[in-house]
Amino acid sequence: MTNADHNPKRTAEVLIVGAGASGAAVAASLAEDGFDVVCIEQGHWQDASKFPTVKPDYELRAMSSWSINPNKRKLPEDYPVNNDDSAIEPVMFNGVGGSTILWAAHTPRLHPSDFRVKTLDGVADDWPISYEDLEPWYDLNDHVMGCAGIAGDPANPPRSERPMTPIPLGKDGEMLAGAFDRLGWHWWPSDNYVNSTRYGEGRDACNFCGHNMMGCYQRAKSSTDLNYWPRAVDHGAELVTGARVREITTDSSGRATGVNYQDAEGNDQHQAARAVVMAANGVGTPRLLLMSKSENHPNGLANSSGMVGKNLMFHVYAGVTGIFPDHEGEWVGPAANMILSQEFYETDPGRDFVRGYSYQTGRGQGPGSTARGGSPRVPWGADHHAQMQRRFRNTVGLGVIGDDLPEQHNSVSLDPNLTDNSGLPAPKITYTVSDNSRALLDHALIQGQKVLEEAGADEIMVNRFSREAGWHLMGTARMGDDPERSVVDSNGQSHDIDNLFIVDGSVFVTGGAVNPTPTIQAIALRTADYITNEREDLKA
Amino acid sequence: MAFKPDINLLAAAMDRVIPPVDDLAGAGGMGLAEVVVEKSQADDRFWDALSTVLNALASSNEFLANSGDAQEDALRSVESLQPVAFNLWLDVVYTIYYMQPEVHRRLSWHGRPPQPDGNVMPPWDESVLDVTRQREPFWRQV
Ligand SMILES: Cc1cc2nc3c(=O)[nH]c(=O)nc-3n(C[C@H](O)[C@H](O)[C@H](O)COP(=O)(O)OP(=O)(O)OC[C@H]3O[C@@H](n4cnc5c(N)ncnc54)[C@H](O)[C@@H]3O)c2cc1C
Repeated sequence: MTNADHNPKRTAEVLIVGAGASGAAVAASLAEDGFDVVCIEQGHWQDASKFPTVKPDYELRAMSSWSINPNKRKLPEDYPVNNDDSAIEPVMFNGVGGSTILWAAHTPRLHPSDFRVKTLDGVADDWPISYEDLEPWYDLNDHVMGCAGIAGDPANPPRSERPMTPIPLGKDGEMLAGAFDRLGWHWWPSDNYVNSTRYGEGRDACNFCGHNMMGCYQRAKSSTDLNYWPRAVDHGAELVTGARVREITTDSSGRATGVNYQDAEGNDQHQAARAVVMAANGVGTPRLLLMSKSENHPNGLANSSGMVGKNLMFHVYAGVTGIFPDHEGEWVGPAANMILSQEFYETDPGRDFVRGYSYQTGRGQGPGSTARGGSPRVPWGADHHAQMQRRFRNTVGLGVIGDDLPEQHNSVSLDPNLTDNSGLPAPKITYTVSDNSRALLDHALIQGQKVLEEAGADEIMVNRFSREAGWHLMGTARMGDDPERSVVDSNGQSHDIDNLFIVDGSVFVTGGAVNPTPTIQAIALRTADYITNEREDLKA
Repeated sequence: MAFKPDINLLAAAMDRVIPPVDDLAGAGGMGLAEVVVEKSQADDRFWDALSTVLNALASSNEFLANSGDAQEDALRSVESLQPVAFNLWLDVVYTIYYMQPEVHRRLSWHGRPPQPDGNVMPPWDESVLDVTRQREPFWRQV
């Protein structure tokens, strides 16, 4: 379907805002169940043959037109984000596939305890659903997206077999695994939505190029433009691209009636719908809900609780990098994690923080990225070449992803001055790192150094905190049973408006210490099944 | 007035941050100053950083005529007074230098872009799990 075929004059049964990880999943599921689905996406389809990793200047492009940061990328479909009052900068991609175009595709699941942190640890809130409630949709998503991994992880509940064997650990991963083994600490091959064999329509096995976070030329890394979207379109879903939603419209009774949007030619359009599903991510969704204020909804849509935009969580990131002279590791394999350690995932009353963290292990980097470094860069001047020689292909890193408990003052609001190129208010992020998060990261950095020492590192560099690491956008329209303290119910349905649903990371109650996307997509699929099974009234 | 980069000044500064090594000239001597200008023109942030650094160096008295140590001092001073611009400029210089085939050869690296050739994925070896598999399940029951 092309945009030219789309007729905005008709009333869709379900209108989805955003074609990323969650929007694609919900679109495919509902279209397969016979719903008339329209999705409006501000970005475009990606042509894998144009991804920059085939060009010599790919590392420079990663700093500008292919940056993960919309404020640096500045494509017409991006909106600016005001991060002046935030310790972390959100990163994302706007297009068909959403942020899965640039993601690392490391795909662990939340733990059962993550859904019960109030009961277990007396902090934040419990989710209104459990791990077991989500499990069937986690499994389904693993099969559609294509998960490489292996059952038997002692840190997680038993699981069914993944469709593909794990991505091999490689020299770096085996070295770290050995160190974890000798310390007696947990590790397990990480789950990745990256093909270790041919899997999915037209998708090859990974060719270990070493750099898939600028789009995967090989289509071995899963992104929703490669699986959910073709299925959705095959079942009649209409995907309108280059179209930016300005507001969700409502009738006099306060119910959603569709959206106003600007089409690819810059014309204002209205798309009517019997239900609206928000899938614009943890920043884009609260932004749109806040922009959709009206007489009936003076604080924005679905916001009688005042929780829209509040409780923003990112996960806190830090890391240690070891220099292993003469290691000659190869800079190969998908960027995503090789192995995961969840030795310190759970609360331990003997520590000065609650909840915990996971270690992720990054593969090596290209020459430009090694020189620029993250922790820290190779020095300039007389010592430059010796230091570069020492580090290139000789560094191995442990990343820390820490649980980031919700706090109301961490938020997305509308910037009073900054606007996007459609004149719409940009989101303003307000975020501070809590004492709990800092204590947790400090603990992780000390333990992480032990791993690198055990692995034989000659020198260890510490990155106390990563700022451009807001890849997980969560909590800003959270789910709950209490309409006064949450935005949507356990099915993703707005407490205030019974034909408005939210399926992206906004609905997270807590973030756990793992990457969120399998959980986001499981939630989206579960909401789609709820609509199919319980909301016959939304069908024409 | 529109900023017009002084190529000689930029090349000299680049030679200081990435000096000659073995049979390779410094980053400036390799003729990469023009590439830095060209690539910076494509991105406002790079351009602003370039102009901030070069304007600061131009005002730091006879950079080109100075000794190596004095040039280094001047660069350190810009680095401390304009850290954001300096670091971004340095990132651009580093990245462009490490795009060069002769630099890759010196690092004994194949030097081609990651795609389309890629590499060979080794087979999955399950024996790596022998030790970690012995661990009893320890996830927290709820
Ligand atoms: C560099 C990077 C690495 C990552 N690595 C991992 C990883 O390894 N594992 C993991 O689990 N997660 C990872 N993530 C996060 C993951 O990509 C996200 O969690 C996931 O894509 C979120 O899905 P979503 O549907 O909520 O939003 P997105 O995928 O971000 O999609 C939202 C879509 O909504 C569209 N949109 C927003 N506003 C509007 C509007 N007004 N009108 C029309 N369209 C709109 C956007 O253009 C976008 O396409 C990473 C993210 C990044 C950026």
